Amino acid sequence: MTRVRILRNDGSKQWWQEYDVEPRKGSTVLDLLLNIRETHDHTLAFRHSCQMGSCGSCGMVINGKPSLACQTRIADLKSEPLFNDTIRIEPLYSYPVIKDLVVDLDDFVNKHKSIKPYIIRKNPEELEEAPMEFRVTPAENLNFIQFDYCIMCGLCVAACPTVSLDPQFTGPQALAQAYRYIADPRDEGFNERQSILDTSHGVWRCHFAGSCSYVCPKGVDPAKAIQLLKREILKRKFVRGKAGASVAVVVQPEKSISNAPKAPPLDFKMEADQHE
Amino acid sequence: MNKRYKSGLFNSLNPTRYNLERWSYTLHRITGVILALFLIAHIFEIYHVTLGIAGWNQTMEELSNLGVIELIGMWIIAGSALYHGANGLRLILNEVFGLLLGKPRLPEYPYSPLSLGRNQKIAIYTITLIVVALWIWAGLYLLAGLGIVRW
Amino acid sequence: MLLMYALGLIMIFVLTFHLLLVSPLTGRTFAEALSYNYVLHNLTYFQVIFGILLYAATIHGLNGLRIVLIEWLHPGKYQWIINAIIIVLMAMLLALGTYTLIAL
Repeated sequence: MTRVRILRNDGSKQWWQEYDVEPRKGSTVLDLLLNIRETHDHTLAFRHSCQMGSCGSCGMVINGKPSLACQTRIADLKSEPLFNDTIRIEPLYSYPVIKDLVVDLDDFVNKHKSIKPYIIRKNPEELEEAPMEFRVTPAENLNFIQFDYCIMCGLCVAACPTVSLDPQFTGPQALAQAYRYIADPRDEGFNERQSILDTSHGVWRCHFAGSCSYVCPKGVDPAKAIQLLKREILKRKFVRGKAGASVAVVVQPEKSISNAPKAPPLDFKMEADQHE
Repeated sequence: MNKRYKSGLFNSLNPTRYNLERWSYTLHRITGVILALFLIAHIFEIYHVTLGIAGWNQTMEELSNLGVIELIGMWIIAGSALYHGANGLRLILNEVFGLLLGKPRLPEYPYSPLSLGRNQKIAIYTITLIVVALWIWAGLYLLAGLGIVRW
Repeated sequence: MLLMYALGLIMIFVLTFHLLLVSPLTGRTFAEALSYNYVLHNLTYFQVIFGILLYAATIHGLNGLRIVLIEWLHPGKYQWIINAIIIVLMAMLLALGTYTLIAL
């Protein structure tokens, strides 16, 4: 029998509650939590969805380390040194708690939105007049594809020491996504993002503790993204002439290569936040 | 509840259950604060040279009244300076030049992060070994001043 | 824009030079390295290098202290108080150090 200690919270007080469960072969922490909710205590609240490490809902702190509950196997926990047959589960650090293990992700999502997580091009009518596709070669793709695997689970923000000290810090997830778009050769929006990134609460608050990369379940490596982002910002500030080097130019052939009729010109303004 | 759960000073400095670079972040912070406070004291101390040889000798007398504590303190500061400088050099390589972070590649299971990869860990362990070796040497030099060890 | 990087790099060289001066490689024993004559000789002979060390170390160190204080104390809108304290301390230390170097 395994003992599970969960930090319960009903909005006004918090307490540790213990349950005894019998894990089956190959059980994960999420299996235990569902078992507890079905048989022991139906008031336990936690998020989960896909049960396979792909949606990012079940983030929680298990035995002191932020991890996804569906990806943490009981057998792995038991084989760690210093395991004393109790699994300690708490809500994610540095987030406000709503109930039990459910945390408030508003701040997290707002910081992600603030760095403009979409491709920004200077000419909004380019899509209608593009003579050919916007190409990305496999070598250029490798530069940023790793950071595109983010499932927005929030574990990196829970592990970061600067986030726990500074509520205004943009956070490893947002900064890694900012680098994903800046390193994309199709993006031309570095200047719009610079006012958020190049501040004392932006990129320069990161001191490379690396815990964000350590707990990331998909290998996104936000620490590397942030260090590369620092290099990019310094390069564009101090090394003139190389500023446009990492932005690929869309090749314009001399005549259109398709026989399709041209679309009529746009007569409305396209705004960046149209999807809001 | 509006308060963020478990944020604050202790949690940010706590490197247990985390990776090797988190330990180096905590040590870098602590050695930095120690060195900054030492710097303030050291500038005040060296200022006394302007008081002539009598004033200088009097300052040295007052300081050496602390005895062993002074030597242990200087030993800790020597180690702090060595560690902070070496780790700072590694941080400059990482953040300004992007070295030691690993080549970009597609993530494959088990998704171990590249920035904490083999080269980075080799660098940290090498730095630690060099720093510890120089620190022991500095300790012996200080002990020679006490007359315990012959230089 | 971290001038901490630049100052840190400068300090690695200059501080190594300073530590070598008081080490047994170029100095004498511990007691002799602290003697008045040796200290005076060093400060007058290598004035410029010690001046660079003073300015680089003070600015790097006190800026670092400022960052650490801001992160550990969360002043919010009172951040200018911490900035002011650090600038005053920096000015005092630089004045003291420059006087020491020049008056010898």
